[in-house]
Amino acid sequence: MAKVVFSTWRGERIDNRGKDPSEWEESAFKLPEHYDESTPAKAFIGWDGVAIFTEELDAVRLAMEYAAQYQKYSEACGRCAPGRWGGRILYDLLDKIARGEGAFEDLEHLKEVSQTMMLTSKCEIGRTVPKPILDLMEFYKEQFDECILNAQKSKDYDNDINYIAKVTAPCMDMCPSHVDIPAYIEGVRDMVFTDSLVATRQTMPLAHTCGRVCPHPCEDACRRANLDEPVSIMELKRLGADYETDHGLGFLHPQEPKPPRNDGKKVAIVGAGPAGLTAAYYLGLEGIKVDIFEELPVLGGEVAVGVPEYRMPIDKYNKDIELVTSLESVTVYTNHRVDANRLKELDAEYDAVLLAFGTRLSKKVRAENEREDMEGYWGAIAMLDKVNLWNKYGIGSPASNELKDTTVVCVGGGFTSMDVVRCSIREGAKKVIMLYRRDEKTIIRNTTYEEYHEAVEEGVEFIFHSAIERIVDEDNKLKKLIVNRYELQPDPDGGRPKLVKIEGANFEIECDWLIPAVSQAADLQLLPKEWDIKLTSWNTLLTNGRDYMTSRPGLFAAGDCEYGPMTIVNAVGQAKRAASVISRYIYDGKVSLTDEEIMEDHLNKLGVYDKKEKITGWMPGIPRNVSQKLEVDERRDNNLEVNLGFTGEEAIAEAERCMRCYYIAMVAV
Amino acid sequence: MNEVKKKEITLTIDGKKIKSEWGKTILEVARENGIYIPTMCYLSKVEPIASCRMCVVEVEGVDGMILSCQEKAVDGANITTSNDALFRERQKIMELYDVNHPLECGVCDKSGECDLQNKTLEYGVDAQEFAAKDQHRPMQNWGFVSYDPSLCIMCERCVRVCNEIVGDEALQISVGGYKSTIINVKQDEDCAECGECMAVCPVGALVSTDFKYTSNAWELDKIPASCVHCSSHCQLYYDVKHTSIDSPEPKIYRVTNDFEFSSLCGAGRFGYDFENRTATKESNKLKEAVEAFKRADTIRFSSMITNEEALLLQKIAKSVDARLVCDDAIGYQKFMKAYSSVSGKSLYGATLDTLKKSQMVVILGTRVYDDAPMVKYAITSAVKREKAQVVYLHPIEDNRIQNLVTQFIKYEVGSEEGVVSLLADTLIKKDGLDKSIKSLLDSLDIGYLSAESNVSEEELEQLKAKMWKRKRFTLVVGEDLYNHPEVENIARFIALIEKYSDFDLIAIPPASNTLGVSLICELDESASGYIVGYNAPGDYTLSALGDGDIDMPSLNQQEGTFVSIDKRVVPTHPALPYSGYELLDIAKELGESSEYIIEFTPSLPTKKGFKSINFDDLPDYFDVTGKSHRGYELDMVECESGSLPSEPQEIDSYDGTIVYRCNSGRAFNPFTSKCEQLKENEVTLRGSAQFAIAAKLSDGDSVKFTIDGIDYQRVFSIDTSLKGTIALNPIFDIGLSSFALSSYRFTKVKIEKTGQ
Repeated sequence: MAKVVFSTWRGERIDNRGKDPSEWEESAFKLPEHYDESTPAKAFIGWDGVAIFTEELDAVRLAMEYAAQYQKYSEACGRCAPGRWGGRILYDLLDKIARGEGAFEDLEHLKEVSQTMMLTSKCEIGRTVPKPILDLMEFYKEQFDECILNAQKSKDYDNDINYIAKVTAPCMDMCPSHVDIPAYIEGVRDMVFTDSLVATRQTMPLAHTCGRVCPHPCEDACRRANLDEPVSIMELKRLGADYETDHGLGFLHPQEPKPPRNDGKKVAIVGAGPAGLTAAYYLGLEGIKVDIFEELPVLGGEVAVGVPEYRMPIDKYNKDIELVTSLESVTVYTNHRVDANRLKELDAEYDAVLLAFGTRLSKKVRAENEREDMEGYWGAIAMLDKVNLWNKYGIGSPASNELKDTTVVCVGGGFTSMDVVRCSIREGAKKVIMLYRRDEKTIIRNTTYEEYHEAVEEGVEFIFHSAIERIVDEDNKLKKLIVNRYELQPDPDGGRPKLVKIEGANFEIECDWLIPAVSQAADLQLLPKEWDIKLTSWNTLLTNGRDYMTSRPGLFAAGDCEYGPMTIVNAVGQAKRAASVISRYIYDGKVSLTDEEIMEDHLNKLGVYDKKEKITGWMPGIPRNVSQKLEVDERRDNNLEVNLGFTGEEAIAEAERCMRCYYIAMVAV
Repeated sequence: MNEVKKKEITLTIDGKKIKSEWGKTILEVARENGIYIPTMCYLSKVEPIASCRMCVVEVEGVDGMILSCQEKAVDGANITTSNDALFRERQKIMELYDVNHPLECGVCDKSGECDLQNKTLEYGVDAQEFAAKDQHRPMQNWGFVSYDPSLCIMCERCVRVCNEIVGDEALQISVGGYKSTIINVKQDEDCAECGECMAVCPVGALVSTDFKYTSNAWELDKIPASCVHCSSHCQLYYDVKHTSIDSPEPKIYRVTNDFEFSSLCGAGRFGYDFENRTATKESNKLKEAVEAFKRADTIRFSSMITNEEALLLQKIAKSVDARLVCDDAIGYQKFMKAYSSVSGKSLYGATLDTLKKSQMVVILGTRVYDDAPMVKYAITSAVKREKAQVVYLHPIEDNRIQNLVTQFIKYEVGSEEGVVSLLADTLIKKDGLDKSIKSLLDSLDIGYLSAESNVSEEELEQLKAKMWKRKRFTLVVGEDLYNHPEVENIARFIALIEKYSDFDLIAIPPASNTLGVSLICELDESASGYIVGYNAPGDYTLSALGDGDIDMPSLNQQEGTFVSIDKRVVPTHPALPYSGYELLDIAKELGESSEYIIEFTPSLPTKKGFKSINFDDLPDYFDVTGKSHRGYELDMVECESGSLPSEPQEIDSYDGTIVYRCNSGRAFNPFTSKCEQLKENEVTLRGSAQFAIAAKLSDGDSVKFTIDGIDYQRVFSIDTSLKGTIALNPIFDIGLSSFALSSYRFTKVKIEKTGQ
């Protein structure tokens, strides 16, 4: 909902020129009327049209500058004939008109070249760049005509106007880490796997990890879904990483790591999980000294001690970790718990501190007689710690000592609970039950179809619409659970169906273990009381979600301890941004965003993906490739990686389904 | 959606109902059915590049234009490949391609065979209505190849073949939109200079530095032939015309090939001028030669020979009662015989095509980058397209193929027999195995073999782990094994592996027609008495190099057939005339009644798998789908089997300074060495810094040493890409002597420093 003078955005036709402001029609979209707090925008132009916020707009120059931005983008690509030459000619002709040297036939050539670009370009960027230019030529025709007729420069041709552009794509926009997805897929398509990996690592250091266990929100914004099925984006990511590892290549970085600056500036990071590692990586690449403090004896956070080996082999994750720790500017301290006193020391000693300690407290299921000291009651985080520390590092003892031939009940519904039940099967439990309040559809939505399906195959019994009312013990030893049954009653007002307890339908489960995996909370004991750090309503560290500074200057937070338990890719995205802000903050004491980041946020707010868009120029009906998985008998009693990944042939075929939906957006201020 | 992947599909292209199968692109289906869709960047042998956008088509019910080179043909699709709208867009693309393209067709090498020229005419682009600012883009000389960026249309074919076929990853796109160019990032190091890039260039941007400005394309006659230099016997054309205004003598100007489907290496592409020009017919010389043959106790020859002449030599040897010796084939023949005695087959199972499709490759006993470029190309395809795991077992690591190899296992020089027995134990499936074989494997002293060969059990476990859930396995073995003292036992182990594991074998024939020779001739172990050498040293020598007692035609002056690594009998034709005597002339004097050498083609031994087909009936082309119809494939012949390997012998240790006989990728033999573009001024002994210390040598030292009775004087150079205490010694510069070596490739030598 934005006030516009004129807009053709996403098919709308708003023309308030010459109208009284009280009669202005509003745009239906969250267009960036203001670039930042202090700067109003003159115009926004992009793949789907143009929006003008001022009556005094130089449309000719706007068109020319947009073509110039495409020309600049094309300098990072230029890999098809229409895009490479067409883009150049588009810009040259528009500039010719804008500087007052154009002829009317140039307008005709512009239309012809635009047509060819829109029909035949390789990427969406070449296909969409002409659209808003043609809109301007149509609706601001008089300005073009004037320049040509009078052989004069466009009115702002020599004026100082800032044009800020950003390249995006629906998938990139949806990815919390804004990974350059079309680029890494192109690397697979071209079979230059090193290029693929470098493209990923521009914003995502954990390529092995997020090529395996990312819940891929990007795939929900894949335009290919409008045509047939989304591209299998996530799995294509691991090809580059596997290639680097398999061939024993040295680590490939998106830029040559800068030597340590040795200027006395340093950053402390609390927690060596995905967020901590990511921030350390991007700071370290810049040569900024980073010390990471990790409480556990091992690096990697929940992905190391939470996510099981069969989903995320540790030797692969260790490659992602080594990528970070191999940087000269990065030092890690394990077995180093940061408490309130230590945090105060860090705060004093370092120029900035990033909190990235995750959420490692298992929440309770809220049943009667729920006591953590009861024998048989085992929090999911502690249980997975034990399983993983032994299986991956040989630390501690096997969890099968506890779980073999027992009955395990897990209460959950998310990824952690899936890990609990599938690990329990692998540790030899005789019966494993998952209790879930809602239905099958919801559990699939909260995790993935594969995850649920594989757990069922492995023998996990799912009991839906149920919740524990009371835990029964004998001499403080868990005996059985009294479980309520619920049903979903549709909301007559059309809202979310309500869960209603079915009276008299209670049942009992005798069991040895109850493992609550309903959710996790942040352990906030390390925050010095006197700092009075502001928290969210769900007890995580409060930031504005853009620069990730907490209420205390110099103290930043990213990942689950900021957001609440969320995905790896979310933690990576936040930490990358935090690292960028910190890299400036430690020098100027200011919290600032780059133009790239400001645009990123604008586009995210506007929404890049359009579910309703009709796709043209691509053959529909090309099925998504599915990678091979281990058969249930091959996997249920061991920790072998279940997903074998794409074969080469499948990977290339899948990469060829990518439509390279790059777009350029630009703001004039 | 998986039901879409049903195998058979029916679709309509330009009104024609077509049956095809799922997985093919629209362009492939169209071409198979003789329907023309224009392309600029498309190259059959690589994955679709999709840069030119010329191949767009329309599909009923689908909005927009569809890229036919990349998009799969779908069941029920109704496709239109040409109409006014498509013509207009293609014409527009050609207009864009032509913007600022230099109008220098008159002097451009590509003129006459230029895709840009052809399509510009086809689409009637006769004026440039708009322009972009021109840019200064100087020519670059990359050695064998020159690059002119202003002619480059950025189709990316060259980058694709360098990455996907050759595996050098030397060419890259320097992205810059309108300023984009191709760059060679390995110009100064190990770009293979194979010329693949220029072969596939559709315009005049990449041309042969040597050929540049020497001829118009349309003046050249293309003589179809098979490359003679190695056992791949790749398809090529010798492009021939008269030498100059003053000289009507035909001359080979360059080599071209059906680059859409097949590839060449640098030796094949640039090593064509090895013909023997000096020969004359002097009847007394012929008489001498005949006398020499009559007197011969031994006839010695090399694998640089056609099947027909090999057969002829066999006949002559029988008629004059001489031993027949071929040093570069004897080891291979022993290997193959022993292999057959276990496998029961006359030939190994794999081909370069099956190698390309492998998901796992194990390479043993060959420095494959130098020994067999086409095998390296095939492995590249496997790595790039099939994500193949490649295990490279050799005493010398080769970091030029780090991008291909996923596990390097270094073994001790001389321990090949131990290594193959360990491999047999690792790869052979023990379930249901015959008792005798099982007990043989059980009796292997793994600990001892592992210690002696320096191949650890962990390494073998890792190797085995790579097989997990993979399909299509190929074992590639090479020359190191054939001349090993225990070659027969090694071969028996390898046959066992092929028979009882998932691996198919390629045993790389070590020289040109070694496989043909080993099938056709009954070879004796060693020469003795009075030796007549045919392209090999002897008391009387017949030499195509022009340095013998009588001249012989070289292989680009002969017709006949070779047996390729793919077990195919492929034809070659003479590109140049020859004015001297040839072997058949001598044979005629000895009683042979055949008029032409190719009369022997149908007489090649059918019991070895040859077919009774006349030379002139041998096909020699690729069809539109890229399938090779060159000659014919040898029949696999059943052999007596039942023998088994014995326990490996004790392993001799090789300490001190060791020299490995190894030519480099573009230099195979004295014939390549004779070629103008491949000549090397200084032939060096190359070793690592570690070798230099062990041998007490410095870079640039003059050295001498003796191997197999041949004295070498070399300059020593330190090659920083090498490790360990083994140096590489090439033999392509020692003339015919290089064809008389049958010793194990590694030799312990004393190197004497003679100067600096």
